[in-house]
Amino acid sequence: MSASRFALATLAMSLSLSAMGADSHHSGHGHGWSGGEPGKASAVSRTINIDMHDNYFEPESIDVKAGETVRFVVSNKGSLVHEFNVGTPDMHEARQVEMKMLVEHGVIQGGALNHAMMEMDMGGGHSMKQDDPNSVLLEPGDSREVVWTFTGAGDLEFACNVPGHYQAGMYGDVNVN
Amino acid sequence: MSRWISLTAIVLLGWGGIPTVASAQERMEDTTARKMPLKVWGAQFEEFEYRYSDDDEELGTWSGDVFYGTDDLKLRWLTTGEYAIDEQAYEKLENQLVGQVPISDFFDAKAGVRFDTPEGPDRTYAVVGISGLAPQWVEIDASLYVSEKGDASAELDAEYELLLTNRLILAAALDATVAFSEDREIGVGKGLVSTETGLRLSYDLIDRSFSPYIGVVHERTYGDSEDFVRAAGGDAESWFAVVGARLSF
Amino acid sequence: MKTAFLAGALSLLLPTMGVAGEYNLTVDRVEIDTGDFVKTGIGYNGASPGPVLRFKEGENVSINVTNNLDEMTSIHWHGLILPFEQDGVPGISFPGIKPGETFTYNFPITQSGTYWFHSHSGFQEPDGAYGAIVIEPEGREPFRYDREYVVQLTDKHPHSGDRIMRNLKMMPDYYNREQQTVGEFFSDVSDQGFMTTVKDRLAWGGMRMMKADVEDLQGFTGLINGKGPEQNWTGLFQPGERIRLRFINSSAMTYFDVRIPGLDMTVVQADGNNVQPVSVDEFRIGVAETYDVIVRPRDEKAYTIFAESMGRSGYARATLAPKEGMEAAVPKLRDPARLTMADMGGMHGMDHGDMAGMDHSTMGEMDHSDMKDMDHSGMKGMDHSGMKGMDHSAMGHGSEMTAGGASDPFYAEGSGLIPTAANGGKFLSYADLKAQKPLYEEREATREIELRLTGNMERYTWSINGVKYEDADPIRLQYGERVRFKFVNETMMTHPMHLHGMWSMLDVGAGQLNPVKHTISVQPGTTVYMETEVDEPGQWAFHCHLSYHAAAGMFRKVIVEGGPESTQAAEGDVGQAGGEA
Repeated sequence: MSASRFALATLAMSLSLSAMGADSHHSGHGHGWSGGEPGKASAVSRTINIDMHDNYFEPESIDVKAGETVRFVVSNKGSLVHEFNVGTPDMHEARQVEMKMLVEHGVIQGGALNHAMMEMDMGGGHSMKQDDPNSVLLEPGDSREVVWTFTGAGDLEFACNVPGHYQAGMYGDVNVN
Repeated sequence: MSRWISLTAIVLLGWGGIPTVASAQERMEDTTARKMPLKVWGAQFEEFEYRYSDDDEELGTWSGDVFYGTDDLKLRWLTTGEYAIDEQAYEKLENQLVGQVPISDFFDAKAGVRFDTPEGPDRTYAVVGISGLAPQWVEIDASLYVSEKGDASAELDAEYELLLTNRLILAAALDATVAFSEDREIGVGKGLVSTETGLRLSYDLIDRSFSPYIGVVHERTYGDSEDFVRAAGGDAESWFAVVGARLSF
Repeated sequence: MKTAFLAGALSLLLPTMGVAGEYNLTVDRVEIDTGDFVKTGIGYNGASPGPVLRFKEGENVSINVTNNLDEMTSIHWHGLILPFEQDGVPGISFPGIKPGETFTYNFPITQSGTYWFHSHSGFQEPDGAYGAIVIEPEGREPFRYDREYVVQLTDKHPHSGDRIMRNLKMMPDYYNREQQTVGEFFSDVSDQGFMTTVKDRLAWGGMRMMKADVEDLQGFTGLINGKGPEQNWTGLFQPGERIRLRFINSSAMTYFDVRIPGLDMTVVQADGNNVQPVSVDEFRIGVAETYDVIVRPRDEKAYTIFAESMGRSGYARATLAPKEGMEAAVPKLRDPARLTMADMGGMHGMDHGDMAGMDHSTMGEMDHSDMKDMDHSGMKGMDHSGMKGMDHSAMGHGSEMTAGGASDPFYAEGSGLIPTAANGGKFLSYADLKAQKPLYEEREATREIELRLTGNMERYTWSINGVKYEDADPIRLQYGERVRFKFVNETMMTHPMHLHGMWSMLDVGAGQLNPVKHTISVQPGTTVYMETEVDEPGQWAFHCHLSYHAAAGMFRKVIVEGGPESTQAAEGDVGQAGGEA
């Protein structure tokens, strides 16, 4: 039991570290992540509904304007856990490694999330709560909002990084005009 | 039990009158080849060779078999011969016709007749025996013979193949004959009659159909049989260089 | 309860509703050129493999098959759910198609995915009588792709099927050229010591079993879509495109380990049914199985599709390239597989208690050390409850470990056949396959039927429960029951078991998300369970799909008693008229 707790703590730390790593990596480029930033609800100019199915999004591409703040209403209409994540293909690739670990450790179990495990305090403020502002992880039937401001043009996709889903085609293009 | 069921099925089918094509399909019996015992044939010459002895004797020899049958019953014709090229005569000519049935995972029992028709007196024998694969990959063929004159003898054949590579194979063969009574007319004395030991190095040139080989063979007669051979002016012991091919069709 | 069945029933009742597609196939003597040799064989519409038949879910197909041979023929639609008279097995579904005759198959298409068709007469299938079936779904697929290719594998042998069967019966190791040699003895001595090696050889010699007995039929040329390695079938793509590859193993005898160096493959279907996507570096495709994978080559370069036989005696090769004529490096074959004592675990009533007493030193080639260090902790969170029925010899470890150590719950622990990816990455396991959606409502099986897979390698006899087909009574199932089949492999060979007409739900411990298949590989020394909803009346074939094992007796007829059309029919009643004569 303590071993399993230890493993989870290690995982949580490695996830946080990889998130930090990703941050520093992006800031290291000098121009930051061109994709955008968490939006303020007051700035929302448009709502886009995104439905998650097994294993694809509807719609499969969206058009946004640079500087626009969009409220995504994301609904999981499938029978499996899905993620909605706005990022570059590279970010998705990195995220997929984390998601694979979440599956391997039983946090994501096909059609359900192990909430207890996600909330568990791993010490040092680490947890496996999936609360990055650019993404939501939804169980079947769940619906959540993501408010996002697209700051400029870039190679952006919204994607589900649950293992295999992106590869099967569960992503969509974000065309920033 | 299964016979009863199929019999019942036939009776019931018949009872239904002349079935239409469609209904016959509905309850069709599988009468295809798949449902029949698989019939297989094969022909092999384990040895088909020219022998040259340390006494400058030249022989053409063979040992082969042809079979036809199913897993449960095979008919097998085994043929062995030694033809002396200078004398233009068969020193040995044996043909066996046996029926063969499985008795264990690795062994068959066989029974039949053997006809010996070499130069000199002929013999006919009743044969029973076993053949199969002994542990450690030794192929065994053991037979018990009783001649029409009432003389009994036994023969043991053992062969082992050593794979130098998957195509270059060294085969060691031992054949020993023991007689339980004397049959002087054909030069057989009571006791250990003879052994033939061979070592052949073959190469599978075409699948396992054609595998040429070279080798050495040692033949020896013992005891009374040895005396009979010497009395007849023959050699009790010979070494042969052999060249030939293992064949299968 | 089952929409596919309802749709099927509806289209039967209202045949005019569906779109009727008419297809023509001729069965011909053809020339087959593998690049290594040329032989005459059997094909469809003048070629082997035959055409790719493209159907659409919901249509009624009408297929005219003209037999231009001078012998009986038949076509079986492998994996399709259809009325049994249309299933194409002579002696079980229909009498067969006579020389010169045209037979018309009529059936509704109630499913989608990748399947194949082949002759079920004699050895016509190994002689070349096979082709692919692609069925487009009514709705959208749960995955995306820009282009697709059928990748149909086979093991083309210079000998005819009849000749191969005869040779195997005459000399079961006739084609085995991977046997242990004197050279291997000495290399084992230097690796494992003299006494260990001698003991090992004596142990196997004592059983009269060969460690090298992995592939009965060697000396073949692996073909992809009818092309040998030198002829190099090539599929074109634009970099960045997503390509769906529909792998079909139409071999007579050969399992292939498939990889595309440089590309991840995401498995999205197995045996025509959607599975939750799983990305792998390599997968093993059993005889008669199909796997659909999605790859996305991003670079402007060629990639080799490399399919190595399980025993490493041969391979098939093809290329994905942006332009015709481009090619990538072709990997070398890995070392031949060797069985271990673990693979013998099921033989001669040996139980696993005996195994403990056996000499495990023979497993020297396997390195277990790295597995001890693996983290098992996370697995506690997994739901293994559905796996309680699994045989413990087959369980050992969770599927997660396949990525690292050589372990797979569907192989005997310590088996010499456990595959590992050439690049050290992820090798697909049956345990990774989970249905995308449940096909049936979950319910307890009403009955369990044990099928021991049995045989005698020295005699080349193959059987089920020790009885060959020629001596066997049919397996009788009742319409409406859910049968749990327990396969116990007591032989040292892998058997791809194929039940016609009804789905085989392989128990991987995923409950109602167990994958839905038509062919299930059972590895030596393992016990595997599958469940079948008995929802198709009639009589069906059930057999090992290795051609020469099926012909040697590992075959059964299954009779489904009762059913909607004959609810009142008593045993022996000839039933209702109908069906196409």
